[in-house]
Amino acid sequence: MSDVPTRDADGMIIFRPKPSQPPPPNTTGVIGWLRFNLFNGIFSTLATLIGLAALVYVFLAFYDWAIVKGVWEAQNRQECRLGKEWGTCWAGVEFWFSGFIYGRYPAPEIWRINLAALILVLWMAPLWIPRVTAKSVIGLSAVLVFPFLAGYMFLGGERNLFMVAVVPVAMVWFAATMVHVLLCVLTGHGLGRWIIHLTGFSNRSDRAARYPLMAAAAVAWLLVLFAIRDWTLVEVGTNRWGGLFLTTVISGIGIASALPSGIVLALGRRSKMPIIRILCIGFIELFRSVPLITILFMATTMFPLFLPEGLVFNKLASAIVAVCLFAAAYMAETVRGGLQAIPKGQYEAAEAVGLGYWKVMGLIVLPQALKLMIPNIVGNFIGLFKDTTLVSIIGLYDLLGMVKAVSHDPQWIGLHHEPLFTAALIFFLACFAMSKYSQYLERKLGAGDRR
Amino acid sequence: MAIAEKTGAAPGIGALVNDGRYRAVFYQIVVFGLVFWLIYSLVLNTQQNLETRGMTASFDFLFGTAGFAIAWTPLDYKPNDTYFFVYWVGIVNTLIISVISIILATVLGFFVGILRLSRNWLISQIAAWYVEFLRNTPLLLQILFWYLGAFASLPRPKSSIHILGLDWLVLNNRGFYFPYPEPDNLFWLTPLALLIGLVAAFWYNRRSRIQQLTTGVYRSTLWQTLGLVIGLPVLVFIVSGMPLSWEVPALKGFNFRGGTFVLPSMCSVLVAMVVYHSAYAAEMVRAGIQSVSHGQTEAAYSLGLKPSWTLRLVIIPQAMRAIVPPMISLWMNIVKNSSLAIAIGFPDLVAVFMQTSLNQSGHAIEIVGMVMLFYMTVSLTISGCLNIYNSRIQLKER
Repeated sequence: MSDVPTRDADGMIIFRPKPSQPPPPNTTGVIGWLRFNLFNGIFSTLATLIGLAALVYVFLAFYDWAIVKGVWEAQNRQECRLGKEWGTCWAGVEFWFSGFIYGRYPAPEIWRINLAALILVLWMAPLWIPRVTAKSVIGLSAVLVFPFLAGYMFLGGERNLFMVAVVPVAMVWFAATMVHVLLCVLTGHGLGRWIIHLTGFSNRSDRAARYPLMAAAAVAWLLVLFAIRDWTLVEVGTNRWGGLFLTTVISGIGIASALPSGIVLALGRRSKMPIIRILCIGFIELFRSVPLITILFMATTMFPLFLPEGLVFNKLASAIVAVCLFAAAYMAETVRGGLQAIPKGQYEAAEAVGLGYWKVMGLIVLPQALKLMIPNIVGNFIGLFKDTTLVSIIGLYDLLGMVKAVSHDPQWIGLHHEPLFTAALIFFLACFAMSKYSQYLERKLGAGDRR
Repeated sequence: MAIAEKTGAAPGIGALVNDGRYRAVFYQIVVFGLVFWLIYSLVLNTQQNLETRGMTASFDFLFGTAGFAIAWTPLDYKPNDTYFFVYWVGIVNTLIISVISIILATVLGFFVGILRLSRNWLISQIAAWYVEFLRNTPLLLQILFWYLGAFASLPRPKSSIHILGLDWLVLNNRGFYFPYPEPDNLFWLTPLALLIGLVAAFWYNRRSRIQQLTTGVYRSTLWQTLGLVIGLPVLVFIVSGMPLSWEVPALKGFNFRGGTFVLPSMCSVLVAMVVYHSAYAAEMVRAGIQSVSHGQTEAAYSLGLKPSWTLRLVIIPQAMRAIVPPMISLWMNIVKNSSLAIAIGFPDLVAVFMQTSLNQSGHAIEIVGMVMLFYMTVSLTISGCLNIYNSRIQLKER
């Protein structure tokens, strides 16, 4: 080394670092990334090339099938084939697309399904708005109250006494929720606060402050009940329900009923009472160990035997009951997993404070367990959404049933690939979005536990 | 006096709900009563319904003639056999597709799972999208796709596809035809040799492991094991004069004769089940390997283990602990999902027994019960094995 170290006044060597060298060439930037991730050695390069070739091959084959050979304007399958040799008949999918979504629901009544979907979205959307209060009430009512409104909108017909009472409840509830959300966003105070304030009950006790709320609800209910007394929708039998609509209805009811019954079953399975525990274990193991299709067959063949004479379940109702039983057993195991993940200290601490069983569970254990379970519950829902396709085997026209029906339509006879591809795409988009959302939730909810 | 009565031993009605000692018993009696009432009323309804239909619930029908043909079975089934034999045929068919799917899906799943962890970005992305796409579409849709899109739209026997250009692997719209081995005299020696080889290899490996534990000397047993398991049977096979002839499929008239075949529906179910479940298996393998902390690898390297030994002795044994339990529940799912074969007409248990036999005989309760009994037996057996395995490999802490 030629350079002499510099020394300070006392003769001590002063440390003077050399300027750092630039990184070796080809290790940074795009080239570095490519070298490291795609061409890192002979095997890696070979793998990259094979992978690339496979991708290009698949893409070209798909492009040729879907775009080059695609026929978008045709009256029937014969035209598709003649126009271009063995053309890919997207015209058939276009023709049947409304069937894939709504089944054989009469066209002039389809607005009812769309409106119900819109109401559900509006009802659930406030859960994602930070300023809204009373979210648990909104969320619960969307699950417990909305189904009656939706059920009437889908079915239509004369309302029986129960529906006469319940439909206005759901309508008032929805309207109140919307007003509440608007007030929350604009003024920061909810609907309840405003009613109490405007009626002058704001400085009375909490107990007294409830009366104006009840009165307002009752008045609104009576008004709506009176207003819609002559209003009826055209009746649409469940045999005309179908498509993605039916898939969503079945899996939606399945998952909504599975959560409460799953919680009950899971608590029963961990209970100290032997009879309750044995019954719960028996139910869970029975329905988890047999395939869904056998439960569906059981529902269609054995329910008519089980029920008293004169009471007849239609096919859809049997299928929904079967799906509910199945989903409840699976949800119970998910909930049990969540309950087991809660440290024993939480139970003991809650009991030490003097809480009883239901308070320990409801206030301490379940809120923590549910948070842990959310990704699994979404996973359960995705599984149920996919499994709902099995109802097409017992003759319901869900999305897959409609896809199969296309190939029996004389106009489009034998048209398989295109409808199947479309259905696959619909399922993929729905399930993929849900699974990505659940991963996001997992990260967001777990943020507090990470260091 | 009144106070003494209240705190005394005589419990009032309220004690049933408020006293911890009686409450549990009271609730259980109530629940049991409700369930009992439910079952009782179901049985009563069923009896009434059966009477009005002029039917009785009994298993006698099992010994009546079934009278329908089954499209594919390895057993010697004829239409004039009994319903009980149909049950057995269904079970065998279900088990065949389940076992083949389990083996192939697991192998493919391991392969894709390892690709998913590849340091090559493109390969790992392809594996990731393979998994995402397969997991997010329903299995039934995939089965229909393979059936309608691939196997049912193959050419007719006249213009069959010969796989790899081989004359004796034939694929057409009637199914997949392949040669069938016909054992001659002395063939029994070969399986016997295989058995002896397996036992000897096991014994040899055990001895060398004991030797390594006591003396510390390590000897590779790979070649000896391969020689015993593969070499010995092959040698015996050749020495005994290759006593195995192959019956080869050949086109006669409108169809192929000779050899054996599987239906297009069976091919579709197998391919769909293998591909679909391999995506799940791949995720399990990936998660299992990633669950082994990087410190383990570093510690093994710092002890001087070479990478292949690190993988074999440190990573894989620990990853297996996380992979095996979900993998076994996946196998259980495969057995259950094989029932979807009914959608494209493959004669599995649900199709031949729960559909055809039930429609013919009308004995819903007995048949549903028997089918559920089979699936429950399989599930409980598998989960029993899983519990034994779990208790054996659990981390022995403290």
